[in-house]
Amino acid sequence: MKGTVLKVENLAVRYVTEDGIVQAVNGIDISVEKGSTLGLVGETGAGKTTTALSVLRLIPDPPGEVVSGKIELDGKALMELPESKMEKIRGGLVSMIFQDPMTALNPVLKVGDQIAEAIKIHQQLSQDKALQKAREMLEMVGIPGARMNEYPHQFSGGMKQRVVIAIALSCSPKLLIADEPTTALDVTIQAQVLELMKELKEKMDMAMIMITHDLGVVAEVCDNVAIMYAGRIVEQGTLEEIFNNTKHPYTEGLFLSIPNIDDRKAELKPIRGLMSDPFNLPPGCSFCDRCDYAMDKCATEKPEKVHFSPDHFVECHLYPDNKEFQLKGGKG
Amino acid sequence: MKDKEVLLQVRNLKKYFDTPKGKLHAVDDITFDLRKGKTLGLVGESGCGKSTTGRVILRLLEATDGEIIYNGKNIRELSPKEMRALRKEIQIIFQDPFSSLDPRMTVSEIIEEPIKLNKLIRDRKKRFERVLELMDLVGLSRRLMNTYPHELDGGRRQRIGIARALALDTKFIVCDEPVSALDVSIQAQILNLLKELQKKLGLTYIFITHDLSVVNHFSDDIAVMYLGKLIEKASAEELFSNPVHPYTKALLSAIPRPTLEKTGEKIILKGEISSPINPEDNCRFANRCPYARDVCRQSEPPLRESGENHFVACHLF
Repeated sequence: MKGTVLKVENLAVRYVTEDGIVQAVNGIDISVEKGSTLGLVGETGAGKTTTALSVLRLIPDPPGEVVSGKIELDGKALMELPESKMEKIRGGLVSMIFQDPMTALNPVLKVGDQIAEAIKIHQQLSQDKALQKAREMLEMVGIPGARMNEYPHQFSGGMKQRVVIAIALSCSPKLLIADEPTTALDVTIQAQVLELMKELKEKMDMAMIMITHDLGVVAEVCDNVAIMYAGRIVEQGTLEEIFNNTKHPYTEGLFLSIPNIDDRKAELKPIRGLMSDPFNLPPGCSFCDRCDYAMDKCATEKPEKVHFSPDHFVECHLYPDNKEFQLKGGKG
Repeated sequence: MKDKEVLLQVRNLKKYFDTPKGKLHAVDDITFDLRKGKTLGLVGESGCGKSTTGRVILRLLEATDGEIIYNGKNIRELSPKEMRALRKEIQIIFQDPFSSLDPRMTVSEIIEEPIKLNKLIRDRKKRFERVLELMDLVGLSRRLMNTYPHELDGGRRQRIGIARALALDTKFIVCDEPVSALDVSIQAQILNLLKELQKKLGLTYIFITHDLSVVNHFSDDIAVMYLGKLIEKASAEELFSNPVHPYTKALLSAIPRPTLEKTGEKIILKGEISSPINPEDNCRFANRCPYARDVCRQSEPPLRESGENHFVACHLF
């Protein structure tokens, strides 16, 4: 253990809309150790992006509202900081990469200037020095420095994502939040970008939160994994614990839903039904309607955390009484 | 029905687009057969021409050259009237269930429309019964009949798209990335549905996707495309266990696998796809290929049989 970079406690976020209240994140705890990568996995609407935006204090308010929660980044309590201090932290201590590199860049600014902009704001360098650093950053992500005078439309999708990475890393953040950074890219380009991110993370000794729905990407880059469902972390553990000792029925369902590339005959076992309506979450376990193991109390009582190791916990009624319980799906 | 019966033969199919910079070779001389009741997976990265191929086969885009022989008839030579009759058999399912459905029509109206337009069932009551039957078939609950697409999630919308594609006398469907926009758990539901329907109704599919684990699971045969060219083709089993083309190898190794037991080295390709506009007479993959030799930059490799029913276009074999 090299110390904790990020600690989130009891975070709850909701969106108040005309149609009702969306309970997007419902009391989650996260901690990210220095230099490690946490994978935040879940389907559309699970609350992954909302969680990430909360850490940056970027939840649009209204309609967003942080109901409760403590966020501690590198020893600073973020929720208490004034907005002016927050501006220094975003892009400095913590950076974020978004899914779509096409919309994350300003189309009318040269990419070199866009990188230099971030550097100037955080490091008080002169324009020349900032541009010099921008060129170095561009080369670090594998783009020839000479291309810094080009505009985003002159780059391909993979190259644009590299530019975005260069901007995010230009001020050596302690924590990088990557929100589906490779989802919009082709497989061979995805492999290039993931490799680059791993390499840079190592080099800069930076912690990372990788938001993704792709368990393949998780297996490749993460040290720890948190599985989110309907605004809760339903299972969390080390990569090995989640993959080889799967405990939550939802986690198991995710694994059984992906086609196994090494066994094409294997039947897909989808999770039935749909995610519960975030406007109207059930009183008990949110996954209960879709769960093959559901019992009577799942519908009425919220499950508590059950720990299997200091890192590995699950929120499920199957375990408090019987820790030996095995899921039947063949996984774990 | 014989197992080997061929439903569709594509011969030297070409589709070029005129652009200000020159001719864009979207589909460049591809040839393949599709057996009745089977699925051919068409894979490749963005811009390789897989969707264009699907559309040209259905004559949603006119081909530049080549033959598309469906059930013994060259589709390209059919008159508009004959084509209209044929359209009852050949259908497409689109990637984005959000933009491929008319937002102002209810679920039942969307499914009913093709039946009405083709005057397949003239009696209103019977037509309505057919709509309900189709909704049952694709697993859409009947109570959703009067809802609008925006009220439904992606998985249900895709089911509407499938019901619409099945509304007529459908025998052949081009599935263009039908599950790419869906979450994994929903994706599995739709894949299982498509498979079930194929078995039940004897459908033939072309399954276009960039997701290799999906295509492996779903297809009988797989064709890999790169910059408008078909570079390798084999049964799914053969292609995944014994890929020959360097691009196919790299593509397969690049898939992030959801397992901790890592098998084999990742081949990380350098560089990116080159331009499809006025391509030179060389192997299109040569500039990224780790094994490229002089010959690869001088002439284009033809598609040759490298093993039984395994075709590859590469100078190294």
